[in-house]
Amino acid sequence: MSLAAQAPRFRATVILALFTMVAAPAGLIIYQSFLSAPFFDEAARPSLEAYEFILTDPEFYRALWTTILYAVGLVLIAVPLGGLLAFLITRTDLKGRGWIEPLVLVPMFLSSIVLAFGYTVAVGPSGFVTIAFRSVFGAAPWSIYTLPGIILIGGLSHVPTVYLYVASAMRRLPSDLEEAARTAGASIWRVSLDVTLPMVLPALVFSAALNLLLGFETFGIPLVLGDPNGILVLTTYIYKVNSIFGAPTYQVMAAVTVFLILITLPLVFIQRRLLRHARRFAAVGGKGARTNLLKLGRAGQAIALSIIGLWLLVSVVLPVGGVVLRAFVENWGEGVRLSEQWTLANFRAVFAIESLSRGIVNTILLAAVGGALAVGFYLLVGLAGHRNHGRTGTLLDYSILIPRALPGLIVGLAFFWLFLFVPFLVPLRTTLFSLLIAYVIVGLSYGLRIIQATLLQVAPELEESARTAGATTFRTWRDVVIPLVRPGLAGAWAMIMIVFLREYATGVYLMGAGTEVIGSLMVSLLTSGAMDQIAALSFISILLTAVGLTLALRLGAKIHD
Amino acid sequence: MTDLVVDNVQKWLGGLQILSGASFVAEKGRIVALLGASGSGKTTLLRCIAGLEQPEIGSIRIGGATVLDDKAKIALPPEQRQIGLVFQSYALWPHRTVFENVAYGLKLRKIGTGEIKAKVEAILEKLGLAHLAARYPDQLSGGQQQRVAICRALVYEPKVLLLDEPLSNLDAKLREEARFWIRKLILDLKICAIMVTHDQAEALAIADQVLLLKGGGIVQSGTPLEIYSKPETFYAADFMGTNNVLSGRLVRTSGQDDTIDCAGLSLAGIWRDREPPADANSVRAVIRMEAISVSPEPSPDGAPFDVEGCIYLGEKWEYRLKRGDLRLRAQGHEPLGAAIAHCRIPASATWLYNP
Repeated sequence: MSLAAQAPRFRATVILALFTMVAAPAGLIIYQSFLSAPFFDEAARPSLEAYEFILTDPEFYRALWTTILYAVGLVLIAVPLGGLLAFLITRTDLKGRGWIEPLVLVPMFLSSIVLAFGYTVAVGPSGFVTIAFRSVFGAAPWSIYTLPGIILIGGLSHVPTVYLYVASAMRRLPSDLEEAARTAGASIWRVSLDVTLPMVLPALVFSAALNLLLGFETFGIPLVLGDPNGILVLTTYIYKVNSIFGAPTYQVMAAVTVFLILITLPLVFIQRRLLRHARRFAAVGGKGARTNLLKLGRAGQAIALSIIGLWLLVSVVLPVGGVVLRAFVENWGEGVRLSEQWTLANFRAVFAIESLSRGIVNTILLAAVGGALAVGFYLLVGLAGHRNHGRTGTLLDYSILIPRALPGLIVGLAFFWLFLFVPFLVPLRTTLFSLLIAYVIVGLSYGLRIIQATLLQVAPELEESARTAGATTFRTWRDVVIPLVRPGLAGAWAMIMIVFLREYATGVYLMGAGTEVIGSLMVSLLTSGAMDQIAALSFISILLTAVGLTLALRLGAKIHD
Repeated sequence: MTDLVVDNVQKWLGGLQILSGASFVAEKGRIVALLGASGSGKTTLLRCIAGLEQPEIGSIRIGGATVLDDKAKIALPPEQRQIGLVFQSYALWPHRTVFENVAYGLKLRKIGTGEIKAKVEAILEKLGLAHLAARYPDQLSGGQQQRVAICRALVYEPKVLLLDEPLSNLDAKLREEARFWIRKLILDLKICAIMVTHDQAEALAIADQVLLLKGGGIVQSGTPLEIYSKPETFYAADFMGTNNVLSGRLVRTSGQDDTIDCAGLSLAGIWRDREPPADANSVRAVIRMEAISVSPEPSPDGAPFDVEGCIYLGEKWEYRLKRGDLRLRAQGHEPLGAAIAHCRIPASATWLYNP
């Protein structure tokens, strides 16, 4: 028992509150899955009907199989490509590394619904590129509305997550390890193979596990690209199951979710173990400033730049360009000159529809103000867990894991139920607080990781010296810890803001009249096919993200952890 | 007046006992050094006094008030113990100026702004830091940071000042200076100070009383002179100074000095262990390096040794001597020219112990 035992009541209160916020939605879903009707229906009885239904539904098995293919395919595309990009950018003398790096990260900051929509309008059956290609070559030999197309796009859009982990592992790699191999007589390529690759292997394995999880929880890309041909994954199956029955079938949605959790929860635990292992590798320490970059040579530069260029073209230029172009035109097709079609009509339409313009304001509010509140909450939780090696610290560890196993769509649904029927929460449902609480849970593991990393940078003696000088635990936090982490908090706020800006799945069920947000509005507009408005909203979403990102960089947010 | 009473403090970490019943008292105006090798529990003991670690058993009283008592279930947090702690890393708050760092303890004690200013300025003046009051810690040298850390711990007049290896981050010259002025400062202020160190020279130079720790317990306690010249166990004798350690057989004849037979040499010595000999066939002799006199000329009470080599150390020469399997280190002011040297090992300097 050391200092961690101080202020136990505060720690226990915060951690129990968090645990309740996390366990309530998860518990409600599991409970609902074993009922014969919605849990608020008086006719609801304990039953396995929901499981019987999905286990006899061929559509479910198909969705399950598609999900597995999608997740595995995504990993097989994203991990090698992300690893290669990380290697080229951090370990070679590639020209233009400096400006390529931020571009590589772009897909990560955009909501996948915007990305997917961008692909639709660029390379979909009647996309700009498809039409242009067809008018020149007579036919366009691709279709993104197929499973391979969806997997490819999913894989490319997850390259940044892999890149981030592998690049930071490569940067952390102490240069003396490589120099030792070089002085022992290994060529620089040999060193990359014999020293660098094994040392970053934990990071590669970890990012593979992370992307597998993201693959199982994915929603936006299969929703936009799979729907036209009826390709379903588990999350879109949950989303569509209502339209199959024509009425809300909460028990079926819950049962599918339980299946999904059975897959994702083990993945979360595997990741946790891998991360610990990776940390042990990284703990070797060492100095940065690497002087020996691999010389690519002229041919190498050309090949490397072409690979990166092609990836950037497909993953960034096509979807973003598609959205930007589509936002400013209404008509296009073969024989139509786009230069004569420029219009602001799409935006005018968006601003004319009250729910859409409110959605924009709400999104900004939720991201900026809600993001700040979320950082405050994460800070409380972070302090409660700070140097807490007691039982509440362990409970906190597990509380953080639960939401990671739940897709945002499900968290939103569960909170929707809670806000409908928990008496003291009911008045909050029609306010943005309902969304904020769900967002806080969805962003929990990401946000808390940033805060915890910042808190750990405060050396323990700085806190202990305040204690011995006569300050209580709270006073120490107020006078020493918080002032020291304040710059980190600003960066954390900006990063959380971006996460909240691009969120779309959480609000699908939760938002109502008055609490619309851009991302979820796009999901509901997809059903009605209002492409003009989706295009304008996507453009605004990209614009807001760009503003958020600029702010983040200004505030010194660390994108690399 | 007794300002600190530590009684039977025991602490475990998992199944491992880190402190095994340490007890001592410290008086006002005196400096106690906790001396020991790394892993001896000296820093843990200091942190237990500060309240940063919680021992399972034992009691501690600071300035007459019980701050820890396992039986009465008292364990005051550090902020209620009226202590000042100087950290090895100094732990100055980087977001506060020197003045603000030092003033913090007074501010927590709800002292008026005017008085705070006067007190902080006085102590900064005393330690020659007055001109640095507006600086931030990263703008100070290591020695200046150390003095700020000491000011910060002293300014609110704690009952006990705790120092954790306060000199280890200074370079050699500054360290020797600091030994002197820290001792003078503490004696001037008449407070009780406890210092942790692994450096015996530091402990001997600063402290009035040295506690030698081993395995979480106190092996011996005494004035620097007693600790150095009258060690009561083999561990204490070997820990202090630079020594020759010989193993051999104890021969006791009534009316004469004890002797130790080792590798064919019979040395007269005195039994210094606080316990009687446990096994006469296995005893140790400890001879301080400086106690052996070496001369190239034979003398009646000297034994001849082969000279293996001489090492020049600046102010003296170190001799490496050999006789059969027996090796000795000794010192002198001249290099040894001949292949044979004669050593005189006084019986009063040949201390015999149980191993």
